[in-house]
Amino acid sequence: MVRKNRGYITLFLLPTVALFIIVYAVSLVILFGTSFTEWSAGRSPVFTGLANYIKLFTDDADFRQSALNTGIWVVLQSTVHVAIGTLFAVILSMKEFYWKFARTVYMFPNIISGAAVGMLFLCMLNPEFGAVNSIVRLFGNADYSQNWFMDYATAFLSVTMTWLPYAAVVTILILAEIAAIPESLFESARIDGASNFKINLYIIIPMLRNIIGTCVILSGTSMLQKMDIILMTTGGGPGNQTMNLPIYIYKTALMDNNFGYSNSVGVFLIGFGLIFVLLCRNLFRIGSSQN
Amino acid sequence: MQKSLYKAGCTLAGMLMLTMSITACGSGNSAENNGAAATAGSGNAAAPAAKAPVKISYLTFRVGTHASAKMEEEQIKQFNAKYGNEVEVVVEEIPSDAAYVDKIKILAASGDVPDVVMGKDGINDVLIKGNLATPFNDYLDKDAEWKAAIGEDALASNTRDGKIWSISDQKQNIGYFYNKEMFEKAGIKPAETWDEFMSNNEKLKAAGFVPLALMTGENAWTSNLILAAMIGTNGENGKTFMNTLHPTDFNTPEMIQALNMMKELLEKYTTKDALGAGYANAANAFSQGKAAMIANGPWMIGDFSDPTKSSEGFDAKVGVAAYPNNSLISTYEVGYMIGAKTPETRDAAEKFIKFKTGLEGQTLALEYGNVMPVSSEVQPSDALKEKYPIMVESITVAQKSQLHYRTLDSIVYPNVTDAWKNLYPKLAAGRATAEEIAKELTEIAAKNK
Repeated sequence: MVRKNRGYITLFLLPTVALFIIVYAVSLVILFGTSFTEWSAGRSPVFTGLANYIKLFTDDADFRQSALNTGIWVVLQSTVHVAIGTLFAVILSMKEFYWKFARTVYMFPNIISGAAVGMLFLCMLNPEFGAVNSIVRLFGNADYSQNWFMDYATAFLSVTMTWLPYAAVVTILILAEIAAIPESLFESARIDGASNFKINLYIIIPMLRNIIGTCVILSGTSMLQKMDIILMTTGGGPGNQTMNLPIYIYKTALMDNNFGYSNSVGVFLIGFGLIFVLLCRNLFRIGSSQN
Repeated sequence: MQKSLYKAGCTLAGMLMLTMSITACGSGNSAENNGAAATAGSGNAAAPAAKAPVKISYLTFRVGTHASAKMEEEQIKQFNAKYGNEVEVVVEEIPSDAAYVDKIKILAASGDVPDVVMGKDGINDVLIKGNLATPFNDYLDKDAEWKAAIGEDALASNTRDGKIWSISDQKQNIGYFYNKEMFEKAGIKPAETWDEFMSNNEKLKAAGFVPLALMTGENAWTSNLILAAMIGTNGENGKTFMNTLHPTDFNTPEMIQALNMMKELLEKYTTKDALGAGYANAANAFSQGKAAMIANGPWMIGDFSDPTKSSEGFDAKVGVAAYPNNSLISTYEVGYMIGAKTPETRDAAEKFIKFKTGLEGQTLALEYGNVMPVSSEVQPSDALKEKYPIMVESITVAQKSQLHYRTLDSIVYPNVTDAWKNLYPKLAAGRATAEEIAKELTEIAAKNK
C-alpha cells in the first residue's frame, strides 16, 4: 500500500521539505558558518576560527549573566509555570465554580501580545502613577512605593511575574488530555472508595505524564525566545540584571554591529535548546506507553 | 464594397478602442497627466505616452504621536503636489525611532536599504562603511542654490574625507525649559553656574517641587542632554570631548565629574519613575506640572499649548534657558542619505531630499514641527511667533549663548547610546562608581565594529 502511494507521498512532502530547506536549514548553515567570522552590517564576513567562541566562554561577563538568567527562567517556566497550569487544569476539570468563565478569563493574558502585556505591567507598576503603588500608598507611607522594574532587588522578579503565572495554554492542553481519560476509570475508583484527591493524585496526574512533558518542553523553550516583554519593561536592566540570551543577541548584532559574534551566541542558544528538549524527552519518556 | 466598408469601420473602431486604452493606461494618477495624454493623443498619434513616475522607497518614524509627524506629513504632501508626476514616494511608516534604526540596520546587513534613508543613530556609519550610500558632492556642485540653503557648516558636519554623505535637515539648539511659576515660588532664576544649578534643585525640592524631569530608558535623552552640558562646559577638554566624533576614551575627569553630578540628580532631584522611564514619561512630568525643568529642544514647544498634553494656559508658564556658563547644545542632525542603487532612483531620491532640506522644506519643518532651520534665510512667520512666543525666546537664547557643544547621541557610537539605559540605574543604585561607569563606556565603545 505504501509502495503504491509512494509517488503521492513524495509529491505532497516535497513542498514542505523544500520550505524547510530554504527557511530553516539554509539559515542554520549560514548562522553556523558565520559564527566563525568577524562580520558587521554592510561588510563581508572574515573567517576568524574559534575566536568568537573563545571570547564567549572566557571573557564575556554579559554573556554569562544572560545565559544564567535564561537558564533560571527556563527552569522556573518548566516547573512553576507548568505546575500552576496543571493545578488549574485539575481544578477546572471538576467543572465547578463557573469553570468556563474562569477558563476564559485565565486565557486573556495569553491572547494579548507580549509587548502589550509589557506595557500594561509597566503602567501598573509605575512608581508615580501606577495602580500598584497607589494601592501601596493607600495602606501606608508613600516611601513604600517602588520602581519595581528598575530596582536591583525587585527587577528580576517583577519581569518574571509578567509571564510566570499565566499558564492558560498549559491548562488547555492538560484539560484536553483529562477529557480523553475514560470515565470508567473514575467510576471504578469511586466504587473502590477513592476520594477526589486520591483520584487526582493516583489516576489523573500519572496519566498526564506525556502531556506534562510536552508542556514542559513548550514552556521551557518559550523562554529561549522571550524578548518582547523584557524589552518593553527593563530592556535587560538595571545593569544586566534582566538580560537574557535573545536580548544579548539583539544587542550584539544591532547595537555593537557585530553579527559574527552575535551568531556564535545564537549557535549556543540552539545547542542549549536541543539539550533541554532531549533531557525533557528522556525525563518524561515522551512517546512511550502510559503503562 | 459594403464588406470593405464594414472591415474599415471595424478597423477604425478597433484603433479607437486601442488608442483609448493606451491613453488610460499611461495616464498615471494626476489630473494633469490625464489632460496631457489626451492632448497628445488627439494631436499626434505618434507622441509617446506620459512617463510613469519613478518610484522611491522611504521609511519614516515620524508618524502617529511623534512630535514631527505633522511636519513629515506636510512635507510629503507638498512634495507630491509639486513633483508627484515625476517621483512617487512609497512611504513605509515605522512607529518608533528605535524600531526604525533596527530595521535599517537589518536591511543594511542584507545590502538592501531604502532609496532615502535618515542616517540617525549610527545608520550613517553603517551605510558609509558598507558602500551603500551615494555622496551628494556631484548633486550639490550642480546646484549652488541648494548648497547655499544648507550652508557650509551643516555640510561640513556631515562630510568625511571630502565626501558629503548626508544632508542635514535641522539645526538643534537645545537648552532647557522651566516652569516660571515654580521658579518664582522657590525664589530662583535660571542658573549661571553648575553650583547655582545644584542649589536651584535643592531650593525647588525644599519648596515642594520635583526639580527635574529625567529619564534613563530608551536613549536617556533628557538626562543625557544635561550630562552633555556638564561635560561640554567643563573647560577646554570637556568642550573638545563634546565636539569629537566617536570618542573611544570615557575615562576623563570631565566625564567622571559629570557622572557624579548625574548620580546626585537621579538620587535626589527627579521623579521616582525616572530610572527606566521613556521620553513620554519625562515630557508628561514637565507638561503636567509635576517637574520644574526639562532639557529639550524647540520641537517640544507645540506640546505646551496642546490640550492633550498640557493643562490649559501651561504655555504661559514656560520659560527657556541656556545651560550654565551661557552654553547651549548646538548640533546639526545627520539628515538624509541616498541609498538608491540605480541612476534613475538616485536622481529621484536626490529630488525628494532636496525638497525636504531646501528652503521650502525647512520652512515647512519650522512652521509645522518647530524645527530650527539650517539656513538663516528661513525665519518664523508672524503667525508662528504669535502662536509660540517661546519660539522667539528660544531663538534669542540661541543667539546670546557663547559656548556650543554637540549632543552625546550625535558623537558616540550607537552601542554607547544604547548602554545608558542600563548604566544609569547602576550608577544611581550605587552598584558602580562614576569611574567604573566611565570604564564600562570605554569598553562598550571598543566593542563597536
